[in-house]
This record gives sequence, C-alpha cells and structure tokens, in this order.
Amino acid sequence: MGWVSSGDDRDSTIGEIAELAAPFAALYASLWTQRHVPADILELCRLRLAQLHQCAVELQRQEIGIPAKKSERLAQWDADPIFSPAERACLAFTEVYAMDTQALTDQHADAVKIHFGDAGLVLLVEALGILDGMTRLSLLWQLRANADQPHASGESL
Amino acid sequence: MTGRPRATNTNKPTGNMIRDSALGLVPETLDYYMALNRTVWECGPLTPAEIEIARLRNARTVNCVFCKSVRYDIAKADGLSEDKVAMIQDDFRESALSEREKLIVAFTDQFLNDPSGLTEQLKAELLAEFTSEALVHLSLVVAHFSGFSRCAVSLGGMPDELPIIEMSVPQ
Repeated sequence: MGWVSSGDDRDSTIGEIAELAAPFAALYASLWTQRHVPADILELCRLRLAQLHQCAVELQRQEIGIPAKKSERLAQWDADPIFSPAERACLAFTEVYAMDTQALTDQHADAVKIHFGDAGLVLLVEALGILDGMTRLSLLWQLRANADQPHASGESL
Repeated sequence: MTGRPRATNTNKPTGNMIRDSALGLVPETLDYYMALNRTVWECGPLTPAEIEIARLRNARTVNCVFCKSVRYDIAKADGLSEDKVAMIQDDFRESALSEREKLIVAFTDQFLNDPSGLTEQLKAELLAEFTSEALVHLSLVVAHFSGFSRCAVSLGGMPDELPIIEMSVPQ
C-alpha cells in the first residue's frame, strides 16, 4: 500500500477518482494499440525508463511480452546487435528524454523519424510523457513491488 | 532547445490549438488525450487556481516556453493573479503563498526532481493538508502537465520567449 491512498497499486490509487481513472485508462490503453510505433518497442522504452529511474514496480510490470534476451540485455542496448536500428533509435531518444529533455537534438528526432515518420516521433514523445509520469508516480507514491514476481526486465536494481 | 519544429501537422486547421498541433498527427490517441486534459481541469477536488500553480511550477522547471506563457482563464477567474504566479519561484517557501499552495509546489518539485526521495516530514505535511482524493488529483495533474511540457520541448520549434497568453481549456 502506498501512502497517498488505500490503493496498493497504480490502478487502485488512480481509482480514488473514478472520473479521472477512466479517461486515463483509455489514453494509456490507446498507446498499445496505435499503428505508428510498434508496441514492443514502446515496452522496451518503458522498461528502459524504469531502469533509469530504478523503479522496481515498473520493472515488474509487463504491458507487452518481449523476448527474454532483449529484456536481459536492455541496459546494454547500445552495444548489443540483438536490438534493431529502429529499437536503438527509440531507446537513444528515451535515454536522453529521461535524463534531460532539453538535451534532445534534431539528430535524435531524425533517427526516430527515419523509421516511423513525424507521427511516430509524436507518438513516442506522447508515450514517453505518460510512461515517465507513471514511473515517477510509482516512486513518489512508494508503491511496493511484489517480492514473489520477477522483473519483466532482467536488470536487478 | 531548437527553433526548428521536429514534427509538423499539415492537416487542415481546425481552430483547436491541440488538434492543430503536432499531436494531431496521432488521431488514435488525440481524443483520449484531450478528454483527459479536460477531466484533469474539471474533475477532482483541487481548484483551478491550485492546478495552475502546479502546472506553472512544472512549466518553469521543464522550461517549456509555451507552457510558461499560458494562463488558463478558469484559474484566473478562480483568483490566481500574476502577483501570485510571480511567487512560484525558487524562494517560494518565503513567499506569501499559503501553506497549502507551498505544499503544491513542493510536491511538484518532488515529482520532477527526486520522486524516490520523499521525506517523512513532507509526507506528513501533505497528509495533514490534503485528502487522498486531492493527493491523487495533484499527482495526475503534475504527471499530465509534465508529460505535456516534455512533449512540447521534445518536438522543438520552441521560441526563446513568448508573451503571456490567456486561454480556455481546449474542448
């Protein structure tokens, strides 16, 4: 259980305000069904954000199944050929986004657009905003990871 | 920061600021995004002036020039003056903001700067001032506007400065 409410996870905490929970859930769900950036790439980006924020709850969450080898090697994506050029472009963008959004360059954006176009770039930054926000809230709300459940990402904290 | 937009919406203008922005390139999420934006302002226990304080604090930290220049009319009607906006600065603790308003700024800072480093003292102060519903509302307000500001910064085309512009919550 976190400290802001009686909820013990993200959904039950946001559920304190039903009028907000429903539109948030609808927006969040739409990220995983849109056609601009593959959902498995968004999941890699989400897990990388969780690694960078050292957020156990978000590392444990799984939105989309990804190959175990990729999740295990995610922290070393930059040096591992298992990651495709499109995945690498999105992960590079994600890392700079997480550390200092102001430091993103036209080159970071162009690298994503080569694979997914302008709309793909917009979807990526929209998704990162939501995923980064939820990761920060999981930490701020002090939600606890399930001790019996492995991380979706292989990296330990 | 870059002055060149990194994504351009070439669709026919609708007159709606959000639909005509680059976000309009992703119709699959646009309506949901706009619905959440409206709901953040219209539902929940925080007043529009309180929401605006959190939004502007976030805009200042993320350095979104667009977000910093906007003032929502419903917050102004709720009593948020430019004198009060000027207090949302580094020395806000010594300002004439109310204790509740200072806690809103402190919570926003915690989310932006050190979400895993919440102190027991700040937690106790927040729990003494806000209901669970209000804390969840404040959390979603800050997360939503942080994402929006970072989206604007990431997509470029940001001028160095803009005048203050008053607007309504996009419908």
